[in-house]
Amino acid sequence: MLRVLPLAALLFTAAALPAAEFDFAPVKKWIAKQDDFRAVSADFTQTRSLRALKSPLAQTGRLWFKAPNHFRWELGRPAKTIVLRKGDTIYMIQPGKKRAERSAASATPDKPSPMQAFGMMSMPFARDFADFQRQFETLAISTDGPRCHLEVLPRTPTAKKYLSALKLDFNTQTGHLLAFEMATRDGSALRNEFSNVEVNPKLPAAIFDFDFTGYEVVDAKN
Amino acid sequence: MRAGWLALGVAAVVFIAAGLSRISFNVDILKLLPTHLPQVEGLSLFLKKFAQPRELVVTLEGDSAENVEACADEIAKILAAEPQLVSRAVARPPWEKSPADLAELLAYLLLNQPPPQIAELTARLTPENAPATVQATLEKLNDSVSPQEIAMRSYDPYDLAAPLLSSGLMSGGQQSEFSSADGKFRVLYIESAQAFRSYKDTIAWLREVRAKIGDIPVRHGCRLGFTGEPAFVADISASTEWDMKSSGFVTLLVIALIFWLCYRRARPLFDLQVMLVLIFTLTLATAGLFLEQLTVIGVGCAAIMIGLSVDYGYFVFQRAQQHAGTVRELQRLCLQNIVWTSSTTATAFFALNLSSLPGLAQLGNLVGIGVVIGAIVMLTVFAPLTMRFHRRGEMREPSPVEKFVVTPGFFRIGAWFTVAVIVLLLGTLAIKGLPGVDFSARSLRPRVSEAYTALDRLSERLTDERDLLSLVVRGQDETEVRERLTRAEAALAAAKESGDVRGFRTALPIWPDVANQKANLATLAALAPEIPRLKQTMQTAGFNDEAFALTESVLKQWAAWAGRPPPIWPDNESSRWIFRRAAHRGDGQLLAMGMVQPVPGREDALAAAVEGEGVYLVSWSRLGLQLKHVIPREFIQVILGLSAAVLIILGIAFRSARAVGLFAVTTLLVLACLAGAMSLFGMQWNFFDLAAVLLLLGTGTDYSILLLLALRRNGGDAPAAQRELALVIVLCCSSAAAGFGTISWANNLGLASLGQTCALGLVIDALISLFLLPRAWAWLHRPKVLPA
Repeated sequence: MLRVLPLAALLFTAAALPAAEFDFAPVKKWIAKQDDFRAVSADFTQTRSLRALKSPLAQTGRLWFKAPNHFRWELGRPAKTIVLRKGDTIYMIQPGKKRAERSAASATPDKPSPMQAFGMMSMPFARDFADFQRQFETLAISTDGPRCHLEVLPRTPTAKKYLSALKLDFNTQTGHLLAFEMATRDGSALRNEFSNVEVNPKLPAAIFDFDFTGYEVVDAKN
Repeated sequence: MRAGWLALGVAAVVFIAAGLSRISFNVDILKLLPTHLPQVEGLSLFLKKFAQPRELVVTLEGDSAENVEACADEIAKILAAEPQLVSRAVARPPWEKSPADLAELLAYLLLNQPPPQIAELTARLTPENAPATVQATLEKLNDSVSPQEIAMRSYDPYDLAAPLLSSGLMSGGQQSEFSSADGKFRVLYIESAQAFRSYKDTIAWLREVRAKIGDIPVRHGCRLGFTGEPAFVADISASTEWDMKSSGFVTLLVIALIFWLCYRRARPLFDLQVMLVLIFTLTLATAGLFLEQLTVIGVGCAAIMIGLSVDYGYFVFQRAQQHAGTVRELQRLCLQNIVWTSSTTATAFFALNLSSLPGLAQLGNLVGIGVVIGAIVMLTVFAPLTMRFHRRGEMREPSPVEKFVVTPGFFRIGAWFTVAVIVLLLGTLAIKGLPGVDFSARSLRPRVSEAYTALDRLSERLTDERDLLSLVVRGQDETEVRERLTRAEAALAAAKESGDVRGFRTALPIWPDVANQKANLATLAALAPEIPRLKQTMQTAGFNDEAFALTESVLKQWAAWAGRPPPIWPDNESSRWIFRRAAHRGDGQLLAMGMVQPVPGREDALAAAVEGEGVYLVSWSRLGLQLKHVIPREFIQVILGLSAAVLIILGIAFRSARAVGLFAVTTLLVLACLAGAMSLFGMQWNFFDLAAVLLLLGTGTDYSILLLLALRRNGGDAPAAQRELALVIVLCCSSAAAGFGTISWANNLGLASLGQTCALGLVIDALISLFLLPRAWAWLHRPKVLPA
């Protein structure tokens, strides 16, 4: 009842999407390759094409991932926002404000995980092809040499309400993710282009830790 | 003479037509409960003001979120195309259709904020600060990882919503009043185009809505449920009407059968049935003219009334069989018995007015009126009719039943059987103890109700409010309600600190703050001329025109309110939808709502801390607890008062302490046996069973009174008194037990329980009165043997 204002901004009609048969071979191959990734580090450039803005906003950053569930995502250089997963908790840290918000990492039917909400791709994207099909409805697949472009839509009603597509570009030979885009129904898009990807590097444990001394740590409202 | 009867007949027809046309049902179960209890008062306010009388709630459930959504949309579309039937069919929040509506709500919420916050807001919009404000928004859009923040700030470049961030108003939620989180359960809100004039209108409207929906749910693989006020009215009224008709009809049928078995006479049977229908119709017409809306309990009177009134008919007919004199002499002969028995019965039923349960009071009034009308009709109309057969020489040989019930064997077997029953029931009472107690609100609910089933499912899937307490705050104006809401919120916050509350939400964040509105309105309204400058600044920073739409609408809304004196309420469609279950205005009072999730077992402490003048913390379970404390105590007082009244009446009638004592012992024995029978059959005491005790004091005692009067008439000859009254008591008991018995399948659980308890009690009373009381009288009055 009282929680309507922010949501109203995202309410737009969905485009009708034709059903089609797809060649899933590159997707299956890519998902299979992910088992080889025990750790990843990469630079990224995030581009926010917001419907309300005349031109996109761009920001660089860096991410680290270590199986099974360690994650650090820094936006800006120096980092203006850090998203850190420690076990089952995710912290959204704003170093400039010395403030951190804490929330549960796991998703529930009525609440997407903060990872999904922040527009970051979960890792691994899917455990196997069956899991992929269970989680996502495929909208498009196209290949250009080793580069494959995949467009999907999560099957959860909540995600469907706000998203028009998740778009991924990956290298079918190396399994590297090249780009990840979240397109919302209001016509906005949030795209991450990855570069300097290192697979299975030796990552120091300190990367996935954070010293909250002097920080105000609060529970996220949602 | 003939003209006199004709005039009387016409008057009766006019009276009946006028009365029956005014009959209406009230399905609100709180109408059955004492209005002086705070829980009843609070719940009534909640249901009356926040339950929407014209709003049907349709629940849809399926295995696929897509199918359920498509089904909801199709039904809404089909019904929206029927403006003569439906004024509104809402499957989604109104602001999804017109998001711009929310600008009014945002403007209103900001208008309520404290002036210092508004000063900060206006400072951000000055020509000096506006460019920096927009630039800060751009930076946040680039840095934020919160989708909600990005979504909101994209369309709020001047950060107007900032004062609301700490209030919780801006937090999102996946579950809504329209859909469960998984989307497989949805709700549609359908409002009738017309106000319902009667329950028949409601039933017809609901039938038409169902017809329009047709096979849409089947095509989408969905299951449908109907709840909300119209569904409850249709459900309960239809079942109540059926209960009344079926129990009345079956009672008439059983009476006819018993009469035929005993007398094997068609014409008197027909006349008796006509008398009963006349009594019932006259009583219902009287109720229509003089009583308020009938509750579901009140209509249970039909069968009881018929079952009791027929007693006087049997008595008159039985006396007429042995009467050789005139009609007037017969009437005089019957008068004493009928006056004494009907006066105690009517007194018992009218005494239900002493109870603070309005439903029972209404039942008492209806049956009391019915008993008085019954006594008058049987004495004045039926008595002359019975003598007509006598004069025509239509009397005949006694039937086998008539012959059997006067034989010594019948009384001997009856006595042994009664003793065996008493031993069994008192033994059960000694072993199993008193019957259990159930003073929950369950006994007030219907046995079967689609509307209740759908509501329970809605609670499970959408808003599980079953363990929640509803906060209802009442006041004369906005300021008074706000003060009370503020006090309640403070108490709730303290209770949360101390661990009595898990969470709460009240209407305070959206309730108008008249003082702030007065202080802010001029300042905010003065911003409208700045629209072109602010738009230009925003465009220069890189925003589209679209990004300014919300800001522009909010500034214009403040300007539009400038000439209006506070309190100001938002009133577009989306705002009305949002406020409809949070705030109510009208009838000279204002109400605000809240929901509280208590820690189980701490409800009383919480209520003590939160409740105050005009502040109620209510729930059905708390109502049950309150009733459990109040009702038994009150009933005991009423029962003691009534017992005293009956004993005084009988003291005057018998002028014998031994007779009154015997009556008292008989009644106590009947009640003890009834308790044993209830234990034996696993029945539980509820509010209605307490009323049953009261009714037994009024009706069952008739048998003892008749017997005691007969014993006096026959000079203490017990067998003679038994022979005189055996058939009458068998007939009366069978008919009254049939009357009460037929309501034991009533849809209302409490009414059904009342029927079962009364039927059991009457049978026990008749057995003891007919077979043991005369023997006890004979033993008490045995000739004293003088010593030689």
